[in-house]
Order: sequence, then structure tokens, then C-alpha cells
Amino acid sequence: MTLGSHLTPLARSHIEQADVVFAALSDHVVELWLQRMHPDVRSLQPYYAEGKSRLKTYREWVELMMAEVRAGKRVCGVFYGHPGIFAWSPHKAIEVARAEGYEAHMEPGISAEDCLYADLGIDPGRFGCQHFEASQLLFYERRIDPAGYLVLWQAALVGDRSLARFETGSEYRQVLVDLLARDYPLDHEITIYRGATLPIERPRVRRIALRELPYVPLAAEETVVLPPAETLKPNLAMRERLEALDRLNEASTITS
Amino acid sequence: MTDTIELLETIGKNASLRHAATDELAYALERADASEALMAAALVGDSALLAVELGQKPMKVNHDVHAPGHEEEPEQAPGEADPLLPAHPDQGGSVRDQ
Repeated sequence: MTLGSHLTPLARSHIEQADVVFAALSDHVVELWLQRMHPDVRSLQPYYAEGKSRLKTYREWVELMMAEVRAGKRVCGVFYGHPGIFAWSPHKAIEVARAEGYEAHMEPGISAEDCLYADLGIDPGRFGCQHFEASQLLFYERRIDPAGYLVLWQAALVGDRSLARFETGSEYRQVLVDLLARDYPLDHEITIYRGATLPIERPRVRRIALRELPYVPLAAEETVVLPPAETLKPNLAMRERLEALDRLNEASTITS
Repeated sequence: MTDTIELLETIGKNASLRHAATDELAYALERADASEALMAAALVGDSALLAVELGQKPMKVNHDVHAPGHEEEPEQAPGEADPLLPAHPDQGGSVRDQ
């Protein structure tokens, strides 16, 4: 999400018409911009703390927003990018508010994923595209399809089970690389991407070999993209079934 | 001097400025009487240089709890009050489902 470029007119209207605005943004300057739109913007950033479970922080955010809702205020939560993507508290706040009989809804925003497609020239419809929070790949048995794009979010803190850290080390990323090496060659060129937050910035795009991932600097806001490593393999059985259906349809058309 | 936040919003909204070449953007900012910090930041595309004018505030960027292994954990200690529930039971039911 880029300052000035990606705030929808409707989202801005919600901000301006709210009684109180809560903000979980990724950039101090964007927070200053938001403060120009409303006199009562309350940053949620102070609730983060190193060593404190993020789950506790997010629950506090929900309670802060709900306290104002229960007080009869019109509340707007502003989250960078899309409020429903990689964000627990917006979904939870809406769920709690609805359960208590309040009207609540989410406005979509332009996320890092949207910017990624534009800046890297990727069409997810061409080969397909899987998205995972990087840690999820390590903790669960997931099926990676190397014939499509693979996008890994929050790789900088891959393997963090504590929810209390904001980055993990190269040894954690090596575990991720070892897992990915089952489906990708180690010299597979991958992309590390970060969208522009301020309009004076350019997207940051770095290309490295997969094996180098543990050893390069990686920020929490950077995303790892693996392009396809295999060509699409025709599914002959399904094609035969579809051909048979086509023949049946043609035959029924002729006889009718 | 023109307000930096307003100028940033103007750049973000303007098709000519948003993807302008560095020298074109620098010229436009000079004409708009931009601050020295904004001029310097725009020249190298580094927003960190705005800290001189707008201050610095480290921001955390993780908003999810998708990190695995926590799904089955209780979200509160036994006996701890649930902050997500309304103060009065008749205001609504439990929403605990994760």
C-alpha cells in the first residue's frame, strides 16, 4: 500500500466519518498522513513488545476497539494493506462486534500481494500461485506445487513458535531452504520483494539463488517469491473424460 | 515551505509524479517549495531521510497469528477473565471459536 495512491475513496470516507480511528500501520509517515484525516487517531503500535506474545497484543487491540464500540462510538480500524490479509484482529473485531449485535464490515484494501503482481509482472492465473505464511510450511505437512508460483510471507521470522519474536536467524531459514530443496533446485532463482510504502520509493526487488536465502539480510516486510521450477504436466485422464463429455454433448446436439 | 505530508499525498495521487524520473520529481518538488528532507529523500528514493523532519518511530509489521502450533492452545489461562466477552452476559454470547 502506497501513501496517497492506494487508499480507496470509500475507505477514506469511513476514516473521516468515524468517531474514533485505531491504526496499525507499517510506517510512521503513513500514520502522520492518517492523522490529517481524523483528529482522534490512536496508534496500536505501543501494544507490541519484544518478548510479548503477539496474540496477547492482538487481543488487546480487539478489546480496545470493542470498548469504544460498546460505548456507542463509530469505530474505524485502519490496517496497512488489506485489513483481512495476514491480520487476525480485524477479522476478530468484526466477529465479536457482530456477535454482540453491532453492525461491522471490512473494506478491502490494496495489499502487498496486489503490488507484488504489478511490480514483478506475475499473473497468478498463468501457472497458479500458492501463498503460505513461511512458518506454516515448516510446522505442517503442506503440498507445494513447483509448477506454479510460490509466495512465502514473513520469511524473516520463519520458524518462530513463540509469537514473541520479530525475526529469527539464518539457521531457521536454512530449515526452510532444506524443505524447499525437496521441490526446487538450490540454484533456483528466487525473488525477495518489498513494495513501496511512500510514493518517493521504488519497489525493492532482489534476485538470489535459493541456497543464499539464509545468508541475505531479510526484513519482516519482505516477501519471498519462487517462480515455477517445472512445466505444467498435462492431466491425460481428465482430458480424456472431458473429450468423452464433449462427444456426448455433440451427439445429443445432432440427435435433438 | 510546503507541508511534506501534503506533498507526499500529491505525489502518490499524481500519475505524472508517482513514476516520474528522479530529476523531474526533483524539479517539481523544488517548484513546490518542498523541504530539504523531502528533496533529499526523493533524490535517492530513501524515506529514512525524512526522519530528520518527521521524526523516527520504529514500526512493527506483523499482524497475524498464523504461526502454527497455537491453534489448539487456550487463549487464556484458567480463571482469567475473557476480555473479548461483553461485561454483561446478556449483551451477547461467547465468540470463542479459535
